[in-house]
Order: sequence, then structure tokens, then C-alpha cells
Amino acid sequence: MLAPLWQPFMEFAFMRQALFGGVALAMSAAPLGVLLMLRRMSLIGDAIAHGILPGAAVAFWLVGLSLPALTLGGLGAGLGVAGLAAWVTRNTGLREDASLAALYPISLASGVLLLGLAGRRLDLLGLLFGSALSVDAATLQAMVLVAVLSVVLLVPLYRPLLLDCLDPLFLRSVSRVGPWAYGLFLGLVVLNLVVGFQAIGALMMVGLMTLPAAASRFWSRRLPWRLLLAALLGGLAVWLGLLLSYHLALPSGPAIVVVAGAFYVLSVLVGPVHGVLQRSRQPIPL
Amino acid sequence: MMIHCHALLWGPARQPLTPPLIVHLPAGSFTAVTGANGVGKTSLLKVFAGLQRPLAGTLQVARGPVGYLVQQHAIDRQFPITLGELVAAGFWGQRLARAQKAERLQAALAAWQLDGLAGLSLQAMSGGQLQRALLARMSLTDAPLLLLDEPEANLDAAGQTLLWAHLRAWQAQGRTLLVVCHDAAAVRRHARHCLALAPERAELYEVA
Repeated sequence: MLAPLWQPFMEFAFMRQALFGGVALAMSAAPLGVLLMLRRMSLIGDAIAHGILPGAAVAFWLVGLSLPALTLGGLGAGLGVAGLAAWVTRNTGLREDASLAALYPISLASGVLLLGLAGRRLDLLGLLFGSALSVDAATLQAMVLVAVLSVVLLVPLYRPLLLDCLDPLFLRSVSRVGPWAYGLFLGLVVLNLVVGFQAIGALMMVGLMTLPAAASRFWSRRLPWRLLLAALLGGLAVWLGLLLSYHLALPSGPAIVVVAGAFYVLSVLVGPVHGVLQRSRQPIPL
Repeated sequence: MMIHCHALLWGPARQPLTPPLIVHLPAGSFTAVTGANGVGKTSLLKVFAGLQRPLAGTLQVARGPVGYLVQQHAIDRQFPITLGELVAAGFWGQRLARAQKAERLQAALAAWQLDGLAGLSLQAMSGGQLQRALLARMSLTDAPLLLLDEPEANLDAAGQTLLWAHLRAWQAQGRTLLVVCHDAAAVRRHARHCLALAPERAELYEVA
């Protein structure tokens, strides 16, 4: 009776690869999302994901359909969007959310135009929304590598990031590590989004980054628990989402994100920390 | 000499807030910064802390970490951190044994009348508790220069007595203090020097 829960992964290597890679990536992307949310920077993921497109398009134009080239192109463009937004903010005082909101339609439009120039041979929908079919052994390796790298780097980054977003003036007055930690952290965000675009899609990776993070906020007031819970919810969403996409023949990225979305809605409703249905019992202390 | 500035202008671009400031503050001095709202007291502290660039003039601040006390509204109260973790951040960059840290943390909590509250979340703290926690964090830093922006805000009478006693103790340890303060009586009672800022003049005078 429980066979449908694991049978597709036993039967097809590509499903297995998508599962392993996706779960690994979800477990690194979701904690990054928790930290992004703490910094009130949830939107930057969205902007970077759109920003990846022109980079991937240029790489495709120059090199052709090669995973390392697409990844490098996406990485360069994603870092470029994040860096450009920070630069505009620093030099003009335009708020960071506004400068990001201005940059990502530019990236998306120029990406689509570049793909048009390249002759539409690259599947735009596949790039934005992902396809489990496209996860081969090399992609799986890249996903697991990025996931491990992110988690390993998050350990030393954790404390400076936390302090830098609670009280940046204090950290900047006692140490110079804040901006570096933040830059490295943004680099990890870009890396996670880029490497996930094969299986899950650049745009859908954003959902996998933010939804488990938002959901975890309704379950615990303690940050370590939130990070852990977000990682688990992200991994679970990948597993159930891949099953949904397999059994109903749906695209994998949106299926995964819809499952993550269901977790979020459930958390908003029944979560013990400020969940809607808990409100009568536990007033919000202000 | 802790802070040495000559013809210093600061504030928003092309709009310096006061005439050029010439100030020399020796190490171990206790200086109040006074002036009306919007005259640039907070910005001046940020310039001294190296967080904001001056518009013109020269500024030399002795090397070393700087303790900076922010105004409370800069702190996100939803942040998932406990009072104990917030205070312990004062150990940043210091090499201490774990037991020594725990001991000094307990001492700091006790000194600021926060014992037993280490597990309190940021959200559940009162304004006075948060203020004392921020001050306790500052007490754990080994910064020789302390910049405090309205430290008496949110503190009741007992809390303010505690505050001024600690500020004097820090000065006695040889630390240099700059304190933005609106309470003229407290300035007269506790500070040796007063840096009075106004749009038409900026001067340092000795408190009688």
C-alpha cells in the first residue's frame, strides 16, 4: 500500500538522482532562507533567480548546452544582480528592496531576449520551472557538493550573520567581519539557486528557499530549531513533490513548491507560535 | 589622545549640520554630547565609530574596538535570540575560556539586575530590560572607547542610578566615554566635559 511512496525512486535512476540532489539542496537552501528572512531580505532570492536567466542565456549562446557553462553564467549573473543592487543602494540611498525590484525585470526581459537571439533552442520553461528528467550524475554531484559546502560554511558564518542582522552597528564597531560574512552568505544563496535550476527551476528554487523558512517561524521561537525544521520541511517537500509530479505527470519544480506551500499554509493555521488558530489561547506579547 | 578631530564636518551630503568641529578628547575622559533634535548627535557618534564618513576635516580615533550603544528602535524585537545570547555577544573577538565567559556573563547580568532573565526572548523583554541588556553587552566588550546614544532612554529612576554608577566605574577603568544625553541635570552631575552642538556653533566646554 505504501509502495507508491518509494516505487518511482526504485524504478528510475533519474528519479533517484532528482530525489537525492533535491533533498540535499533543500536542506541547505531552507536554512539560508531562514537567515534571509531574518534580514528582511526574502525578496533578494527572487531577484537573483530572475538575474540568473541572462547569464545562463549568454552562456548557452557562447558555449551551447553545457551544464558547467550554464552554471557559471548563471552564477556570474546572479552575483552581478546582487552586487549591483548593493552598489546602487550604497551610492544612491535607494532602498535595497526597491533597487532589487528595479533590477529583476531588467534581467528577466534581457534573458528572454537573449534566448530569442540564441534561437530558442534552450528550453525557457525548463530553466525557470525545472524538470526532474534533466538531473544526470554530474548535476547530482553539483547539487550535493553545493549543499554540503553551504552547510559547512554556515557553521562559522552563523554567529557573525546573526549579530550583523540584529545589530549591524554593534558588530561593525567591534569587528570587520560583518560585510564579509554577508557577502559570502549572498554568494551561497546565489550558488544554491543556480545549481537547483536544473531539477527544480530557478524560480521554483526561490519557493524552496522561502516557504519552509516562513513555515518554520510558526513552530519555534528559537533559531536553531527553525533552521533544523526548515531543512526537514524542505527535504520532505522535495520527496512528496517528486512523487506528486511522477504520479500525476506534472512538472517537478511547481509540484515541490506546492507541497512546500501546503506546509506553509498548515503552519500559518495550526503553528503554536502565533498560528491563527492558536491566537485565542496565546496572546501575542508585544 | 583618544579622539582628535580638526575642522570636522559631518551629516548628510553637502549639508553639514554644525560649523567645523575642533575637538581633542583625552583617553579616560567622560564627555556628554548635548543639543536639540536633528543637530547630528547620533551621526557624530557614528562618524567617531567609523560607521559613517565625515564630509570634511580630519579625524583620528585611537585604534581598537569601539563599544557602540544604539537607540532601541534600531533593534528588531521579533529576532529569535535570548537575553543571555544578546549579552554574550559582547565577548566578540576576545579569547576567553568557556568557564571564564560563563562567570563574566553571570557577573554582568547580576551587575545590571538581569539575573535569572538569561532565557527571556527579545520579544518578551520590557524596554528597560532590553536597555540594561544592551548596556551589559557593552560592559563585556574590552573596547577602550564607548559611545552611548541616549543610554538613559527606557530606564526608570533606579535603572538610571545604576547606569550612571556603571558609567563612572567604566571611566575609572580608564575607558573613554561619549554619552548623548538630554538630561541637563544628569550631565552637570556626572560628566566632566560637555560637547554642545547647535546649528550655529559647536563647542566643547568643561562642566563646572
